[in-house]
Amino acid sequence: MAMTQTSQQPMVRIEGLRKSFGNLEVLRDINLDVMPGQVVTIIGPSGSGKSTLLRCINLLETPDAGHVWFHDADLAAEHVDVNRLREKIGMVFQGFNLFNNMNVLDNCTLAPVTLKKMKKDEAEQVAMGHLEAVGLASFAHANVSNLSGGQKQRVAIARALCMQPDLMLFDEPTSALDPEIVGEVLEVMRGLARDGMTMVVVTHEMQFAKTVSDRVVFMDQGVIAEEGTPAEIFGAPKHARTREFLFRYLDD
Amino acid sequence: MSSAPTSEQRAPRRRGRVASFVLDDHRYVLLGTSAVAAVGMLLSSQPRPAMSFLANAFTVELAMYYLLAAWLVLAAVALIFKLTHWKNYDETAPFTKPAVARVLRYASYVVWAMTLVLVVDRVVMSVASAWSVAVTATSRPTDDMLESMCYILWNGRQTFITGFVTTVELAVIGTVVAFFLALLLVFCRIQTVDRPDNDFIRFWKKAGAGFAKVYSTVVRGTPMMVQAMVIYFGVFGLFRMTSLSTTQINGIWTTFLAGLVTITLNSTAYMMEVLRGGIESVDPGQMEAARSLGLSQWQAMRKVVFPQGIKYSIPGLSNELVINIKDSSVLSVIGTFDLMFATTTVAGIYYQQFQTALISTAVYLCLTMFASWLLGRFARHFDVKVEALGSTSDTPVKVEE
Repeated sequence: MAMTQTSQQPMVRIEGLRKSFGNLEVLRDINLDVMPGQVVTIIGPSGSGKSTLLRCINLLETPDAGHVWFHDADLAAEHVDVNRLREKIGMVFQGFNLFNNMNVLDNCTLAPVTLKKMKKDEAEQVAMGHLEAVGLASFAHANVSNLSGGQKQRVAIARALCMQPDLMLFDEPTSALDPEIVGEVLEVMRGLARDGMTMVVVTHEMQFAKTVSDRVVFMDQGVIAEEGTPAEIFGAPKHARTREFLFRYLDD
Repeated sequence: MSSAPTSEQRAPRRRGRVASFVLDDHRYVLLGTSAVAAVGMLLSSQPRPAMSFLANAFTVELAMYYLLAAWLVLAAVALIFKLTHWKNYDETAPFTKPAVARVLRYASYVVWAMTLVLVVDRVVMSVASAWSVAVTATSRPTDDMLESMCYILWNGRQTFITGFVTTVELAVIGTVVAFFLALLLVFCRIQTVDRPDNDFIRFWKKAGAGFAKVYSTVVRGTPMMVQAMVIYFGVFGLFRMTSLSTTQINGIWTTFLAGLVTITLNSTAYMMEVLRGGIESVDPGQMEAARSLGLSQWQAMRKVVFPQGIKYSIPGLSNELVINIKDSSVLSVIGTFDLMFATTTVAGIYYQQFQTALISTAVYLCLTMFASWLLGRFARHFDVKVEALGSTSDTPVKVEE
């Protein structure tokens, strides 16, 4: 579906992004465009800077240099109102990070009520819709600690969707889950992709990257080593490092 | 927590430590109870107080004495048997046969009961008779320490009660006010500069955090006794600059008020550190998740991080009340009429330092034990565990998930 939209302006444009932690250079001159409606998956070995790149897109990590354009605003600029921009960028974490002091429904309504000045019952109605979509409407009043990992992650997705974001970021959303329940989370993500949500996904689920994404980005040692369509990356990787990485993954 | 009832249903009903020792864990029937029997015999050899009821039943006490002695002999035999048959004691000893073991177990309850009777007869009754003598005495009985202490307590009761009430007031009001001040201060302490902040906000955030840091260092780095003097005499000096007379100043800036201010300001610093520890132990992912939704730092703190952090801080915070009960004693240095001041006053009247100190020891201990029991019950509502009688505010926070 992204192929038809290439004439449009990119939703996210990353230019010359650099980030170091102390002496360790995690991101070295990253350039990446994400078109509206595109699903971009970022793959690569651990420590290659995938998560840091993702966290730079909503400024959970502050870039050292470069630009992160979201629509028309540069997130990396000084004194930019990141809070307003983050409202339009949903994020799903590896560790779920549901608010432990609230039940499922309150997790979902907190941001809309606080930031969009929605009425409580109106926000709850919206939240119930999203919980319904992830199949957890009956858990609306459950305590967060009583949910399984897969349920937690689905609530986290619903929570992010309640802000009606333009872009969703997924930071290894299935890495903390049992293999058996990875599927239920991936199913929700597939549904989102079908509905045309713009997504950037850091993942180790190669099957997901292969079947759902419009573009695959392979990162290695802080740079984008190779990018292309799933067919290009998985079918005929050009870079030796990509081949080596994929060989190890697709072997088993 | 909604999970509480289900987990409670599954877990076996918990007994108290004493009850479980008596009912389940009575492994040391012979050896353990022989210590109890020895205590009973020791009490029996003490002179009878005036109100002793066993004085009228001499044969009963004699029988009890010999039964206790018999138990000791039996325990000694069992011990020797155990030492000689160390490897196969369980198989060879007659004491471990189920029927014998059961009889021994019931016999041990009898030993406990007899000792208990002796405790009542000797200890409780001697206090009672000493009390009855002391209440009617016209001058302090000098030959019996217990009577003397009862006399001091009875005749100094007005002073003790005043001191007791003041100590409770200081500790309770001080802790409650300090909690709210500590909340304010910890807000200042943990704020960090955020990207959208302009220079004005950045300055105030840094100034607030700096103030809280300095405050905590100064207050926690100096003894409360010195703080009390600085606050009392410092503010007194300020009042002197006005046209008020010394009597008028004493009416406004009382030693109680000065003590309350001292204990509040002191406790604020410690409670702030406890709260900070609790807040910092909240998973940073909670903050990140809130920020990723677009909440500002302050909104994320208020709605997500603080509620969890305060819950984690409850054990440390409730310790602070117990600490304040004890530490308010140093306020007597500026003349605050607390329990410590009452103790020195009464001790001065009767020239009995040790006996009076012993009385106030008992009162302080009862007070702190009661406070920590109460706080433990309170904390259970929040699913957190409070350690009994904590020592300092700096003990790390323990949280049960």
